[in-house]
Amino acid sequence: MFEFVVSGIVAPIFLLVFVGFTVGTVGGFIGVGGGYMVTPALIVFGFPGYMASGIDMTHIAGKALVSTVRHRQLGNIDWTLALSMVAGTMLGVELGVRVLVYFKHLGISGVVLLITSVVVMFGLFLYTQVETRRAHRQAEAMAREGRKVGREIQTSRLPQIFQNIPLFPIVRCSTARIVVSMWVIVLIGIVTGFLAGFLGVGGGFVRVPALVYLVGASTHIAVGTDLVEIVVSGGYGALRHSIEGHVDMMAVLFMICGALFGAQFGSIATAYVRGPAIRYILSYSLILATLGAVLRLLYVLTGQTLEVLALLAVMLTLGEMIFLCLFIISLVVFAVRHKHGKSVPPWVPALVVS
Amino acid sequence: MSPKPLRWFFDSMLGYWVLLLAVSLGAAAAIYEIWLKGNM
Repeated sequence: MFEFVVSGIVAPIFLLVFVGFTVGTVGGFIGVGGGYMVTPALIVFGFPGYMASGIDMTHIAGKALVSTVRHRQLGNIDWTLALSMVAGTMLGVELGVRVLVYFKHLGISGVVLLITSVVVMFGLFLYTQVETRRAHRQAEAMAREGRKVGREIQTSRLPQIFQNIPLFPIVRCSTARIVVSMWVIVLIGIVTGFLAGFLGVGGGFVRVPALVYLVGASTHIAVGTDLVEIVVSGGYGALRHSIEGHVDMMAVLFMICGALFGAQFGSIATAYVRGPAIRYILSYSLILATLGAVLRLLYVLTGQTLEVLALLAVMLTLGEMIFLCLFIISLVVFAVRHKHGKSVPPWVPALVVS
Repeated sequence: MSPKPLRWFFDSMLGYWVLLLAVSLGAAAAIYEIWLKGNM
């Protein structure tokens, strides 16, 4: 146990390091900040809500920086795509925050936020899950026919539509190997930024599918490029929270201790898997987060009387972090076993790099 | 080799999903019981 003087609470160090490691692993692997998991966890540990947001944002900025450096070494960042998107994201976040303030004045921001979270996350889960299953089956069929399976298999036709929009200026994203109108990238930045600003999250879980299914980037490039966005937005958020005095640096330091290892591991793990494996983990993250939001929504709609719903939401948040981390670790273990010719479950070979 | 009824948990992706989720929720329940109960 450690006394956090700034936050005025006593909490176990082990749990902070543990949360830092698990969310660092997940963030490095699927390219999200993980704020939707960390903030509720910190509140449960006893940190006040505003402190939880500040600590979360500051640790996300540090963790995303580590992941970004590692993804850069792996060649997973397209700087043209990242920098073009940042402009749209900033504008979108501002619009999202303003709409949120409007709903706050109406006194219905809590319910609207939760309903929007459920709809957006469940919609993304459905699309990602259906498309990834199709890609997985396609990879398995290719392997059965003895054809070479690439690192990326994507079956959505949406990127062709968006890449064919002839609006000047057209940009060539050399690392992502795509040619697309800059307006498409900026517009996607605005929409994903709007959702991020409105929902009060980093927005990685919206941007990664958008980069894959709308822009046409490979999943690995989408993850690396999105982390650049998170460094920018997380850095700005950390600065704002620090100025407001919402950051307990001791808590951040303990979380970063775990996140440094987790972010490195999660980023390196992407080198062991094919694109659909990353999208599977992303979709699992989305459905579990949706269930958590449904539980919180039910808690609010029942007049906050059924404490068991809030408790279940907390258990699900903690369980989700552990689940995603274990799945990523086991994928890496299976990939290594497969590489050495050892037996692995039959669904694994199409998902890992051999 | 694991016993036959347990093979579904490894041979099917859904089975593996269910197995890991059960383990994770169990771990989350343990964490809650050991460290967090007093804070709620």
